[in-house]
Amino acid sequence: MPLLELRDVSKAFGGLQVIDHLSLHVDEGEIVSVIGPNGAGKTTVFNLVTGIFHPDSGEIVFEGDDVSGLAPHAITNRGIARTFQTLRLFLNMTVLENVMAATYGHTSATVVESMLQLPRARREERQIRKVAQEKLAFFGQRLAGYRHDQPAYSLSYANRRRLEIARAMATNARLLLLDEPAAGMNPNETHEITELIGRLREQAGYSILVIEHDMHVVEGISDRVIALDHGVKIAEGSFDEVATHPLVIEAYLGVRAEAEPL
Amino acid sequence: MSEGGVPGVPGGPKVGVDQWVAEAEERREARTGLTGAVARAWERVPPPGRLALLLGPFAIFPFVTNEGNLFRYGLITIVYALLAIGLNVVVGFAGLLDLGYVAFFGFGAYLYGIMASGHSGHHLEAEIAIPIVVVSTSLLGLLLGLTSRRLLGDYLAIVTLFFLQAFVIFVNNANGGLSDFSYPFVGRVDLTGGSNGLDQIDPLNFFGYHLTTTRQYYFYTLISLAVVMTMLYFVNASRTGRAWRALREDPLAAEAMSIPVNRLKLLAFMFGAGTAGFTGTIFGAVQSGAFPGDYDVGLLITIYAIVILGGLGSIGGVVVGALLINGAPELLRSSSNARFLFYGVILLALLIAMRPWYRTVVVLLGTVAFGFVLHLIVGALWSRGTAGHIDGGGALGRALEHWVLLPTHPGRIAGWAYFGLIVAALVLTLVHGWWRTIALIPTLYLASFVWENKLVEQVSGATRLILLGALLVVIMNVRPSGIFGTARVEIA
Amino acid sequence: MDWSLFFGELVSGLTLGSIYALIALGYTMVYGILKLLNFAHGDVYMVGAFLGFFVLQWLGGPLTPAVTGWLAIAIMFGAAMLGCGALGVGIERFAYRPLRNAPRIAPLISALGVSIFLQNSALLLWGPEFRDYGTFDLIGVKSYSIGANFFISNIQIFAIATSIGLMIVLTLLVSRTQTGKAMRATSFDREAAEMMGISVDRVISSTFFVGSALAAAGGVMFGIVFGQIFSLMGFTAGLKGFTAAVVGGIGSIPGAMLGGFLIGLTEAFATGYLPGGSTYANLYVFALLIAMFLIRPSGLLGSPVIQKV
Repeated sequence: MPLLELRDVSKAFGGLQVIDHLSLHVDEGEIVSVIGPNGAGKTTVFNLVTGIFHPDSGEIVFEGDDVSGLAPHAITNRGIARTFQTLRLFLNMTVLENVMAATYGHTSATVVESMLQLPRARREERQIRKVAQEKLAFFGQRLAGYRHDQPAYSLSYANRRRLEIARAMATNARLLLLDEPAAGMNPNETHEITELIGRLREQAGYSILVIEHDMHVVEGISDRVIALDHGVKIAEGSFDEVATHPLVIEAYLGVRAEAEPL
Repeated sequence: MSEGGVPGVPGGPKVGVDQWVAEAEERREARTGLTGAVARAWERVPPPGRLALLLGPFAIFPFVTNEGNLFRYGLITIVYALLAIGLNVVVGFAGLLDLGYVAFFGFGAYLYGIMASGHSGHHLEAEIAIPIVVVSTSLLGLLLGLTSRRLLGDYLAIVTLFFLQAFVIFVNNANGGLSDFSYPFVGRVDLTGGSNGLDQIDPLNFFGYHLTTTRQYYFYTLISLAVVMTMLYFVNASRTGRAWRALREDPLAAEAMSIPVNRLKLLAFMFGAGTAGFTGTIFGAVQSGAFPGDYDVGLLITIYAIVILGGLGSIGGVVVGALLINGAPELLRSSSNARFLFYGVILLALLIAMRPWYRTVVVLLGTVAFGFVLHLIVGALWSRGTAGHIDGGGALGRALEHWVLLPTHPGRIAGWAYFGLIVAALVLTLVHGWWRTIALIPTLYLASFVWENKLVEQVSGATRLILLGALLVVIMNVRPSGIFGTARVEIA
Repeated sequence: MDWSLFFGELVSGLTLGSIYALIALGYTMVYGILKLLNFAHGDVYMVGAFLGFFVLQWLGGPLTPAVTGWLAIAIMFGAAMLGCGALGVGIERFAYRPLRNAPRIAPLISALGVSIFLQNSALLLWGPEFRDYGTFDLIGVKSYSIGANFFISNIQIFAIATSIGLMIVLTLLVSRTQTGKAMRATSFDREAAEMMGISVDRVISSTFFVGSALAAAGGVMFGIVFGQIFSLMGFTAGLKGFTAAVVGGIGSIPGAMLGGFLIGLTEAFATGYLPGGSTYANLYVFALLIAMFLIRPSGLLGSPVIQKV
C-alpha cells in the first residue's frame, strides 16, 4: 500500500481547472520529484495534500485513511509536513523556537499546567527543547549551537531554507513535502541540498515528495519523477524516461514549428 | 549584505559571512549610552528580580502617601495594568484586535454585583463569586471568539466593537421596570440598575474576612497582578506561548506546522476575557457599584494606549505603560498640575529629540523672546488681547501671564488657533534641519497659546483623550513596538 | 396590517439608509485600496455635518439666509465636501501613509487614535450640545402622499435622490475615468500598479478625498433630515456605515450602497415592529452583522479573497 495516494483528484478555482483528474502515489521510503512548467499545478497539489484547499472531487489517502476533508493541523498530526515555495518562517522568533513551535501537535501540556509549572509540563518542555536541538543538529555546523537563539530573520537565505526543513521535521512527520528546496541557491548550496535530501531518507527515514525546477537536483535525488502540465500528469517514470518524453519537452520548450519557406 | 570587514581584516568587505555575524560589531556599538546600559543591565537580571524591580515601588507606595492618592494613583494604575495584561495576551501575543475588551471588565463587575450586593439581595462570598465570574467571563469570551474563527483581524475589530456597544446598551436598559423589555421566565427583573448603575456592591469577602480599606484592596490587587504576571510569563515560555507567537507571525504556516490556529485564538480570547472579568470583581467591590459610564470606549482607548506604549507582547512593559498613562491623566485632573506636565513634557521632548544642544537652546530662547515681543506688541495695540488671567497657576502661572497672549474672550480665536496648531505640527514633520528649528519657535508658542486658552478648560475630559489619540498616532509612526517591545520584522 | 406604519418605516429606512450608504462608500473604497479599516471615517462624517452648520451660520443662519434655502444647502454641501475631502487627504498623508508597510495592526491603531482625536477635538471646540440645522425654517417641509397610507416629505425625497445621484456619479467616476481605472488597478495589486506607472500615492489620496467627501455629504444630509447634529454623532454612524459596507461586501461599491439601505431598513423596521423598539434597534443591526459573518463572510456582493500560498 502506498504511503500517500491521490485518486482522481480535481480542483478548480473559479473557471480555471487547476488540477484535472490527477492520480499519483508515493511509496514508503521513496523520493519522488514533481516537475512541470510554472502554473502546472504543482504547489496546488501540495496545498491539497496538506489541507489548505479541499479537492472538488477524488480522494487523498494517507496510510490508508482518507484525509481530504481534514484541517491542515490535523493532517500535519497524521504525519505530513511541508516547506513553502516562498519561505514562511516565524521571523521574529528564534531559530530554536521556530523548531520547538512545530512540536505542538504531539505535545500536550495544557495552559493550566504551564501556568503552574507542574513537573509534567517542565519535563515536556525539556523534551521539546532536546528534540528541536536534535533536528537542528541534522544540518551540522550550519544551524549549530550559537545560532539557536538568533532571530530567524537574521539567517541567510540558504539557512532559512534549512530551518524550514528542520521545522517540518520537528512535527514528527513521516512524509515531507519540499516545495522548491533549491530555489535561489548557488551551485554549492544546491549540491548541499541534494545531499541533504538524500540524507533525510537514508539517515532519518523520511519519504519525500519534492517540487523542483533545477534538473540537477531532480536527477540527483529521485527514485521516480512525475511531470505535470496544466493540472494533468503527462509523464511518469525514472528521470531519464521523463526527461526525454516528448510531451515533457513540448511542455517546457514548445512544439517544433514548421520551417517557413524563405 | 552589509559593508564591513573581511574576517581578520577590520574595515574590509565581509564576504561569505552571515549578515548577523557581520553586523555584530555595529550592534555592540549601538548599545552605548544610557539607554543601552540600562537595557543591558535589565537583561542580566533574572526574571524574579525583574518582577521585584517593577513591582517593588508599588509595594512601598502605600507607606509614603495618603489614601486619596493611593486610590487614584496606585490602585487604579494596578487595575489598569491588570486589564492591559489581559489585553496584551489577545492583541500582543495572539495578534487579535479586540475592541470590545472592556465589556468583559464591565461584565465581571456587574456579575459580581448581581451575586453580592444590597441591590440584588444576594451576598455570596468572594471565594465562590470570583471563580464563577472568571469562568463565566471566559465563556463569554469563548462565545465572542467563536465569531473570530473565520474573520480577518479587521472584521473582528468591528464585531467586538459592536459587542461593546451592545453591552453598554444592555446594562443601561436591563432594569426591569423602566423599559418594555420583559425577560423570558423571570419577567421584569432589575438586573443592572439601568443608567444609574448597580449600587451597594458588597466588599470582597473571603471566608468572612472583609476587605474594607483602600490599603487592603491595594495589596490584594498588587498581589493579584504579581501572580497573573508570573503565570503569564510561564505560559509565554511554554508550548502555548510559542504557538500564540507563531500564530501572530504567520497563521497559515502555523497551521501547517500542527498548530490548531482557531483553538488558540479562542484560548487567547478566553484568557483575556477571564483576566478582565477578574479585574472587574475588584473594581466593582472597590467602587461599591458598577456604572455603565465606566466601561466605555474611552477606557478601551486608555488600555490600548497602555499596551501599545509598553510594547505589544511585553509583560513588564504594560506595568510601565500603566504608570505613565494613568499617572499623567491623574495629574491632568488639576489644571495647575497639568500645566507643569504640559510644559515639562515639551521641554523633555526637546531635550531628548534635538541633537546638537545649541539647537535646543536656540529654540527655547527664541520661543521665550518671541513670546515676550508678541505679548508687548499685542498688549500695546489691543488691550483685551492680554488681559486674561491664569487661575491658580502659582509662580509659573503669573510668569506665563506676561508671556502668553490671554484674550479676555478667547472664543473663536482659540478654535482657529487649535486648527492652526495642528497644521503647524504637521508641517513640522515635513521640513528638516534649520527650517524645522526655526518653525518650532512659533509652533511652540502657538501650542502654549492653545493650551492656556482652550485645552486647559477640559483637562480631565476631552483634552486627555485628545492627547491619548495623538499619542497613539505618534507611537505607531515613531516606534510601533512600544517602549519595551522588540523591533519586529514583517513579511510584506 | 397597519400599512401606514409599514410605509412610514419604509420611507424612514430608505432615508436613513441613504445616509448610511454614503458613509459605507467611503469605508469600502478605502478598504478596497488599502485593506485598512478607517475608524476615523465616522468622525469625518461628523466634521462634515459641522462644516455644513458653520457655513449656514456664515450665510446668516436658517432664518435669515443670505441666499435662498436650496442654494444655501448646495453651498453647504459643496463646502463640507471640499473641506472633508481635504481632511481625509490630510489624515491619510500623516496617519496612514507612513505605516503602509508596517504590520496590519499599526494603521488600525493609528486610525483609532485619529478617531479619538477628532471626536474629542470637536467636543473641546464645539461642545457636546446639539446644534440646529433649522431645516424647517430654511426650506420648509412639504409632505406628499400616495393613497391613504403612503407619505413622504420633500426632505426625504431630497435625501434619497441626492444619495442615489452621488452614487451614480461615483460609479461613473470609477468605471469611466482614468482615475477610476487607476483606483481599481491599485486595489487589485498595488505593486503592479506602481510598476505600470500609476502614482499610487496620488490614487490613494484621491480615494480618500472622494470617500471623505461622500461622508461629509452624508453628514450634511443627516443635519438636514434630522435637524440637529452633535459632536458624538460620528461614532455610531461610523459603526453602522462600516456594518453596511461589510454586509454589502467590503470592497464592492454597489455592495456598499445595497448594504447601506439594508441597514437603514433594518433599523427602521426594528424600531417599528420588534420588541424593545428604538432602544434596542442597534442590537438588531449588530445581530444582522453577526449573521452575515456566519453565513456569508464576503458579504452580499463581495467576492471571496483567494490567497495564493
